[in-house]
Amino acid sequence: MAVIDASVTDASRETTMARSAGERRAAWVLTAPALILMVIVLLAPVIIAGLLSFTNYSLGNSGFDWVGTDNYEKLFTRSTYEKMFLATLTYVVTVVPISVGLGLGAALLINSLGRFREIYKTIYFLPVMATLLAMAIAWEFMLHPSIGMINRALEATCGTPIEVIPFIANGCTDRFPLWLGDKRYAIWVICFIGIWQGFGFNMVLYLAGLTGVHRELYHAAEMDGAKSAWERFRLVTWPALGPTTVFVVTITCIRAFQVFDTIEAFWPQGGGPNKSTYVMMFAIFEKGIQQNLIGIGSAITMLFLAFVMVLTLIQRWLVERKVHYK
Amino acid sequence: MIRDWWKHLILTLGVIVVIAPFYMMVSYSFKSPGEIDRGEGGFFGRQELMVDERCVKLRDPNRDDIAAAASRFPGQSDAEIRDVLVAKAEADCAMRPVVFNYSKAFTEAPLLRYLLNGVIVTASIFLIQVVVALPAAFALAKLNFWGRDAVFALVLFCLLIPVHAIALPLYIMLAKLGLTNTYAALVVPWTISVFGIFLMRQFFMTVPDDLIDAARMDGMGEFTIVWRVMLPTAVPALLAFAIFSVVAHWNDYFWPRIVVTGNRDLFTPPLGLREFKGDGDGSFFGPMMATATVIVTPLIVAFLLAQKRFIEGITLNGMK
Amino acid sequence: MAGLSIENVTKRFGETEVLKGVSLDIADGEFVSLVGPSGCGKSTLLRIIAGLEAQSSGGICIGGTPVEGQRAADRNLSMVFQSYALYPHLTVGENIAVPLRMRRMNGMQRLPLVGGLMPGTRAVAREISQHAADAAKMLEIGHLLDRKPGQLSGGQRQRVALGRALVRDPAAFLLDEPLSNLDAKLRVQTRAEIALLHRRLAATFVYVTHDQVEAMTMSDRIAVMMGGRILQCAPPDVVYEDPDRIEVAEFIGSPKINILPLEVLPDGRLSLLDRALDLAVVEGSRGVASLGLRPETLRLTSADSPIRGRVVHSENLGSEMFVQIEVASLHERITLRATPEQRGALALGTPVALAFDTHKALIFDADGARIRRLRHLSAASSEVA
Repeated sequence: MAVIDASVTDASRETTMARSAGERRAAWVLTAPALILMVIVLLAPVIIAGLLSFTNYSLGNSGFDWVGTDNYEKLFTRSTYEKMFLATLTYVVTVVPISVGLGLGAALLINSLGRFREIYKTIYFLPVMATLLAMAIAWEFMLHPSIGMINRALEATCGTPIEVIPFIANGCTDRFPLWLGDKRYAIWVICFIGIWQGFGFNMVLYLAGLTGVHRELYHAAEMDGAKSAWERFRLVTWPALGPTTVFVVTITCIRAFQVFDTIEAFWPQGGGPNKSTYVMMFAIFEKGIQQNLIGIGSAITMLFLAFVMVLTLIQRWLVERKVHYK
Repeated sequence: MIRDWWKHLILTLGVIVVIAPFYMMVSYSFKSPGEIDRGEGGFFGRQELMVDERCVKLRDPNRDDIAAAASRFPGQSDAEIRDVLVAKAEADCAMRPVVFNYSKAFTEAPLLRYLLNGVIVTASIFLIQVVVALPAAFALAKLNFWGRDAVFALVLFCLLIPVHAIALPLYIMLAKLGLTNTYAALVVPWTISVFGIFLMRQFFMTVPDDLIDAARMDGMGEFTIVWRVMLPTAVPALLAFAIFSVVAHWNDYFWPRIVVTGNRDLFTPPLGLREFKGDGDGSFFGPMMATATVIVTPLIVAFLLAQKRFIEGITLNGMK
Repeated sequence: MAGLSIENVTKRFGETEVLKGVSLDIADGEFVSLVGPSGCGKSTLLRIIAGLEAQSSGGICIGGTPVEGQRAADRNLSMVFQSYALYPHLTVGENIAVPLRMRRMNGMQRLPLVGGLMPGTRAVAREISQHAADAAKMLEIGHLLDRKPGQLSGGQRQRVALGRALVRDPAAFLLDEPLSNLDAKLRVQTRAEIALLHRRLAATFVYVTHDQVEAMTMSDRIAVMMGGRILQCAPPDVVYEDPDRIEVAEFIGSPKINILPLEVLPDGRLSLLDRALDLAVVEGSRGVASLGLRPETLRLTSADSPIRGRVVHSENLGSEMFVQIEVASLHERITLRATPEQRGALALGTPVALAFDTHKALIFDADGARIRRLRHLSAASSEVA
């Protein structure tokens, strides 16, 4: 008995070893392209950017100097970059809560409807699908100070009771805003377009999250005395949407930091009236590529990377915590 | 149902805000410059014949033309002949606004070429992504090898890197290699989709090992298994990923803007539109809106035909 | 605590009528089970009582007051759900406290940070915590107050659900198959605990289950429901020994009652397998009838009996044996309860003859209704000879 068993295990061990050696080779071959590309296309650039951020390199120069933390110092002192931070953070802080809030609101409303759900869902998702550049140009045209739809509609309200609102009243007497040409309004217009484009995405994610809420919990809440929609929301819906919210907020934040299309389309040079819309991505583009100041472009890139990594790590940590204590 | 009226009211207001630019874009692509200026004509515009000024200018008769035409108009002064020729030119150059807008969209700039570029680029990116990601995902999901955990940890780490962050250094690398303004530049940085690897791995882990063992017993090599066995089972997930990839890259503006600077032949649709905008003067809103409509339409139509799939694909992230 | 009254309730879902005129009076402090196969409408009825669904017609009264149009939150009832429906983000203590918080604290006081600053909130909150802790202790989960439902076992979660229900002292408790997600052993243990709880609280319990064993062991009365109607509502022993209908007899009791075909002879006498019995109906239908014999009413006999066959299967449960006997002219096998000592005589294949006590026989007419008026034709010890 024992002898036979031993030989059987030996033989099977041999085949499994041969098999696993073959597997190993195959596995490396299969993963090789991905690995190589990961290193070349994802990791190497990050390292290169990191290194270059400490230099004053320009494309076309044969050499460069190490300038230490000069670039980073510039980032934190020069007023241009102050505007960059202001514009970027204004955008993020405005777009993220509103876009997430609208997405949640739309999802709740649509979820509670009996009919026409799919129609609303489809329509609200259209901006997510449409090429942002094309739609941005459409918006730009709508915001044209004289022939754009928006100002025309506002002008139409002159002489009507709505003129009571100070904004309208000023516009009627004076002139309605130039929107994209006005340093007070430009950033808000960009925020609006960003929200317009993104909230549909959040809505769909929330709708998916809502289907995961146990129906019986609402019944339990009713039996426990939760009578209004707000109570049900607080007791059942909002906690159940926790993971979804973490995810939605993170994704929206990261995309907000990456805003570029609208800015470059509207103001190809300069980043908006008085640089009021001089966001990070545009700064990287202008400094790094248009002005060939690779050093400082890299520094901004590293900063951007840091922001995004921090956000993602926070998200991961929050999700881990929830999973543990669910 | 009646109780819901206020919900429908709010949602309809939302619909108006959401649809407004689409409406305007399509509507103005039908209208003549005059109608655009004055903001009239309903949705389709009145479609009255308009005169294409540029076309007329092109056919502006010079001295030789007038001399050549003199034989046909005996007894008329030069000025009168000129008028007649100009009037004829105007008549020839009259067309309906919608025709004007859309034909200009395709002739002022090589829009067809741009669309073709869009197709080439998105298709190439997706295909290469699949070729790279699928085998790697299979290996990570189903094969045991030393270093597997390390590779997967690398994948997870790379997920943290937003693509926009590597744009600048990638551009430098490509510039050094002289590869800017090429299809390769447009495609190569996107060929590695860590997200795709992650997604496919999740999916493959749900495929029963028996299926793969059976294939091995049939004599299939690992590589064959990936394409013959795993690919067919992964079609739904791949479809969702395809949609995600195609939409993202058809609409991408940032990277092409960086990497394609001189060569118009390489413009992707968003770049083409942007150039149109830069070139045109005020009277070219119509054709510009027509271009925008043409660029946006393919995805929108596809979306309307397969909404569930699209929403699934674009919100793939949610499946994590 | 109060009694419940269900008055001719019907419920239609589109074309299908799920409840067909159900009426039932439940006394204060009574434990009534609604039992029946899936789809009989028992859960629907419970939800209608709770107010989570509205009936198509008919009325519900709680404590004598009709609750027409009153929403569930206002009816002062507590419910334990089959899936427990615990709030996953709240601890055990907080879960149990929810009903009290909803009712004793107003909206402002319940706001997360600001609420704590309002006058009186602290005192009320402390009182509520105490109540919740007491309820938890009564159910022996006092040590789990700070855990979240995700960290508990099935049995523990069920107790939390019970705790949340009883912390409020409602007019009645509604329980919707609360044991069906527990494993068999835990079920037996929890059965007894629920019964004990009922006695301790002296509260009205309405208990829905598809398991007739649960119904039999815990209830003051069982309401057997089938096809949207209550077929019989009576104490367990009555439902078992004196069923109104054949469906009730077949549903209650494990193993299932034996049903044999009877013929009603012209003179009213009953004939089983072509042998006339010493039993006759007093009046009523001639023709076909059914004989219901519980396994324990049968016994082995050496006499000449119409019920004869072979042993084809036996199950020895240790304390008793259930033997299945195949009888030639019968469709279904007969189940006999025997003692383990008899297993020698009941080996597979043994030919046996069975006798029964005609006084214990249940006779049903062709429609399934119970025929109670019978004439026994021989002396007291009426056996089929």
